[in-house]
Amino acid sequence: MSELLDKTQIAGRRCALPAGDVKSVIELGAITPVPRSPDFIAGITALRSQALTVIDCRKALGLDPASWETDPRAAVVAVGGHSYALVVDAIEDIASGQTSPDSVPGGFGAEWTRVALGMVETAIGPGLLVDLAALIAGPAATGAAA
Amino acid sequence: MDRSPLGALRNMDDLLADFVAETREMLEASESEIIAWEANPGDGSRVDAIFRFVHTVKGNCGFLDFPRLAELSHAAEDALADVRAGRREPNAKLVTAVLAVIDRIVELVDAIEANGQCPGGEDTVLIASLSDQDEGDEISAVDEIASKRQLDHADPNPQSATANAQTTQRTIRLPVDLLDRVMSGVSDMVLARNDLAHRLREAGNQPTIDGPFERLTSILSDVRDAITRMRMQRIETLFSSLPRLVRDLSAELDKRVLIDLEGGDVELDREMIETVRDPLTHIIRNAIDHGIEPPSERLAIGKRESAFLSIAARQSGNTISIVVSDDGRGIDEERIAEKALATGLITPGERSAMDREKILQLIFEPGFSTAKEVSNVSGRGVGLDVVRENLERVGGSIKVSSTTGVGTLFTLQIPLTLSIIAGLTVQIAGQRFAIPQSYVEEIIHASSKALDLTRMGETSLVTFRGQRVPCLELADVLNLDPEASEGADRSMVMLRLASGDLFALAVDAIHSHGDIVVKPLAPAVMKSGLYAGSTLLDDGQPVLLLDVTNIASNYGLVSDARTRVLNDALETKTHHEERVQRAMLFTDFEGRRRAIRLEVVQRIETTPAEAIDLTSSRARVVIDGLILPLVGLPDGPIPAPKLRLLRLSDGASDLLYAVRAIEDAVELTQDLKPEPDDPLVEAITLVDDQTVALMDSHALFAQHGEASTPVARPTCRLPDGEWARTILAPLVNAAGYDVVEIGTPENECEIAIWFEDEYEAAKALDWEFTNPVIRLRDHPESGASDTIYRYDREGLTDALRKARISLKSSSADAKGEAA
Repeated sequence: MSELLDKTQIAGRRCALPAGDVKSVIELGAITPVPRSPDFIAGITALRSQALTVIDCRKALGLDPASWETDPRAAVVAVGGHSYALVVDAIEDIASGQTSPDSVPGGFGAEWTRVALGMVETAIGPGLLVDLAALIAGPAATGAAA
Repeated sequence: MDRSPLGALRNMDDLLADFVAETREMLEASESEIIAWEANPGDGSRVDAIFRFVHTVKGNCGFLDFPRLAELSHAAEDALADVRAGRREPNAKLVTAVLAVIDRIVELVDAIEANGQCPGGEDTVLIASLSDQDEGDEISAVDEIASKRQLDHADPNPQSATANAQTTQRTIRLPVDLLDRVMSGVSDMVLARNDLAHRLREAGNQPTIDGPFERLTSILSDVRDAITRMRMQRIETLFSSLPRLVRDLSAELDKRVLIDLEGGDVELDREMIETVRDPLTHIIRNAIDHGIEPPSERLAIGKRESAFLSIAARQSGNTISIVVSDDGRGIDEERIAEKALATGLITPGERSAMDREKILQLIFEPGFSTAKEVSNVSGRGVGLDVVRENLERVGGSIKVSSTTGVGTLFTLQIPLTLSIIAGLTVQIAGQRFAIPQSYVEEIIHASSKALDLTRMGETSLVTFRGQRVPCLELADVLNLDPEASEGADRSMVMLRLASGDLFALAVDAIHSHGDIVVKPLAPAVMKSGLYAGSTLLDDGQPVLLLDVTNIASNYGLVSDARTRVLNDALETKTHHEERVQRAMLFTDFEGRRRAIRLEVVQRIETTPAEAIDLTSSRARVVIDGLILPLVGLPDGPIPAPKLRLLRLSDGASDLLYAVRAIEDAVELTQDLKPEPDDPLVEAITLVDDQTVALMDSHALFAQHGEASTPVARPTCRLPDGEWARTILAPLVNAAGYDVVEIGTPENECEIAIWFEDEYEAAKALDWEFTNPVIRLRDHPESGASDTIYRYDREGLTDALRKARISLKSSSADAKGEAA
């Protein structure tokens, strides 16, 4: 498997987003908050004439973002016909995946299992391949599923 | 309303082309499922897509009269239905047989596309192969089919290839994606233009750049309009195929149905039209198949022999609602409940807790169907569950309401995503939000005292036109801290819902209004139920569009359309329910206090005396481009330079009633004493211990009402020359005329303006003046008596107005004679 991956840091962990799904990386401008929406939705922002839903990936995992740095850039992904801007600790690099996603002994832990497709090895080390749809669904979905 | 047969007779070719295209599209969509099923015949979950495919083919060819296709697809559907119901285990033999049937369908569709008709042929072997009896010779039939199938794959039918090449396309089918890309590209351009405009303004005037920039701006707005129209289509295109569908179905099922279509001019996103097409067809089928009784049964229970099926589309705000109603037998709640119990959809405990309405909605559950027999037309519950699924996928909804014995009413709500609507921007807690303009009844800026803001428990009320109206604080709705402090002036947006309910929304400030492009929001945001979409302000800042209907219903401010329909039905039966009667109190020009029922009062107009035309026997006045009859004026000259007029409407026609003063809206609590002497007075009653004559609205409209016709803008020919074009034309335009080019044939304009000297010259040449002529002279001192000095604005306006009224009455006469 030689899929291109976008390496990022989410909540202090190295993660990989399928590069094919990442449309671009943008500097986050003004974010319009969305009152009474789930906590992990930071708001909406404009990318040219498009409106992007800004997702804080740390909160989407049910974790507190204050513990980590936040990259001023965001990765733009399209899921289910909608575009999202993902706020992460840091956007690092592009690398090609060298293995198929694989599970690790002992699992990924409660918050991570929901969004993990598995571990992939890349030239710059292993990363957790993220299921974007599951990530964007947010922590509420876990509650419903559990 | 469209009862004309023209709609029904949409070109058969178009129907066929649609059928072929739709079949191909569906097949393409289910191709992967078919392949997956072929690879693993035991996997029954793949069946659904294939089942829907054959089901749709069956339905479509049922009304296009392709019996061979219908038979094939029906057979495959039967077999697949068994698999879905678990009555049959899928196996390799079945897969092969079903796929062979699909291949045959594709062959036939190719042939239909090429020749416009279905070729004859024998399908018995194919159909027999679908049966699950294991008999030796049938296996050989399947083998034979299987080998033929492989052969087909290896060597695609040369005939169908040539047929494809021959088809001429009159329209282009474009992927919606592409349209979206163009659309968002244009939106981006508009934003870039705005940015550029901003910078140009900062840089100051630069004539060499400003000109081209203006041109760019106008081109851009043209392109934007065109793109928008590309996406929009009148719902008529969908409606036009319905009369035929209804006719064919009712013929097939031995029922008699009249179809009534309304609202064909409602415009809808093309994609939405396609999304609604199938659901609507399904509902109509269901209505005719299950809802409407056979003629004999209808006669027996005292209904008209022909049933009435009405399909009405309405736009309300950012939603289109399509209501399909029939006057059939209605839905039997008990049967639905029994069926749901039998299929395990609900438990007896749940059943007892459900009200009728909830039970009715069960028909949209997957796997539900009440048909006792499976007919060729509908059945098996593909349909309503899929209908709901399809609508919900685009953010729409469907509801059913029904009265046993009276009829059934399906309400489809579909959103207008990615369309342009008029919107109002409001501000709360420093953040802006947009509200669809169509909901906005009025904007009030007043102190809490003037609004009579009171709190009843947790609910706030304001007084609006003498009516207590619930008031929502947008800050509370959104859980934000408002900026405005208690007691300060408040901005209220009065919002009128599609259901007719009114409520006030308190905000901090009100900003601009204008066209906004509504973009869909991500599902997680939509879930909050507060927003209908997002849009970008001119500066590129995104704002959220409030979902007014949903917010109102969250706070229990909506009287549901269904309850209203049912209530209406009840009211027509029991008729009189005591309601508060309200009236508008006024003083007429004879100084009498009078009242008129508030229901007929549309609004209060103010008009200058000179807008009133007293030349004919009946006074008239032009308001909003409509010529309306005017009553209530005293004899003699018009008493005031400005007149207050009550605009009354009976729904069909408007009438103006001139009054000296308007007092207030009052409730008629006292007895109404009929007044037989004055035909225009319905009754005498007491308001605040004084007698008031209540006008008889019926008599008023009977005597004075006339259907208000829009002032068709008559055309006016102007003399040649720069003066006429630049100075005269705007005046003529403002007087309600369309200006036509010089050189337009005389008979294509209705009135002509000539310069005196040119007129004389033309007359000398025996020019035939077929139309009224207004002549202009160059000098203020009077020339010929019937000429007007060219700068005598009043004289000219007056002449134009008189000419128009005489045109109007002569055309009305002509109509009268024709009738």
